Amino acid sequence: MKRISVTVSLNRSTLQFDDAAYARLEQYLAESASLLEGDPDPKEILGDLEQAVADQCTRRLRPDQSVVTLAELAPALEEIGSVQATGPSVTPDPSTGSPPRPLQQISEGAIVSGVCQGFARYFGLNVTALRIFTVLLLFVTGGGMILVYLALMLLLPYAPREVGAPPLGWLPTRSRAFMEYVRAKLSLATN
Amino acid sequence: MAAESKLAPIRKGLLEFLVLKIVGARSVYVPDILRRLADTEFATQEGTLYPLLSKLRREDLVLYEWKESDAGPPRKYYRLTDAGRAQLTSLDEYWSRINRTIADIGH
Repeated sequence: MKRISVTVSLNRSTLQFDDAAYARLEQYLAESASLLEGDPDPKEILGDLEQAVADQCTRRLRPDQSVVTLAELAPALEEIGSVQATGPSVTPDPSTGSPPRPLQQISEGAIVSGVCQGFARYFGLNVTALRIFTVLLLFVTGGGMILVYLALMLLLPYAPREVGAPPLGWLPTRSRAFMEYVRAKLSLATN
Repeated sequence: MAAESKLAPIRKGLLEFLVLKIVGARSVYVPDILRRLADTEFATQEGTLYPLLSKLRREDLVLYEWKESDAGPPRKYYRLTDAGRAQLTSLDEYWSRINRTIADIGH
């Protein structure tokens, strides 16, 4: 028995790779990731590169061919080239300094409203660990954490969303709508 | 060529300016930018362009939107923000000034 191909998900595309091509791809992506160390947005760039690899390989496949081999991948990677990091994200400017990432709730990829994601970004924490910790706090405080979370939802501004970003999940959508409603009520009450 | 090692950093610095110019002309996706630069001194690759665009986006000079494509997944189309347009204008002016200086000096 012999494994013929590996299914690889590359950003928004899915392709079949043979073992040799898969190994080469893994190596390229690992190299890129290490070259991007220090870049504030390696995930975005790696996603773009994955998509570039997928597009380049797809273009090189013969019509009757379904599995990407080194014959397609090698020239594709050659054309994409290795990652050239841009160095510090913002050229150090003594008058302004680099813009701090504000404490915001991030709706993209949120479970409830994105408060944990916002805190994770602000303090540079692992978001999963923070979520688990939050749920633990929920039990420890006997539900009091819910009030804290609601207060944070009310107080923290939302991070701006990308133009044309995919729609939010059910709960983040509802929680945003709910908070807009509450904020509108509150501003009515205070005016 | 000895001059080459002196020219490389100049090209590298100017690439960002040229990318702003291309994105400023119309909304483009990355292969458009690569094609536009391909036959120039500034021919570049996706491995260089994506980190650069990511940086420009973080600096709020460009933004992108997803557009459906006829074949394959949706693509990112980049365009300038107002801040990007303002920066392009001042870079353009600066570049003309430098050109004049270089042309005039030493005569």
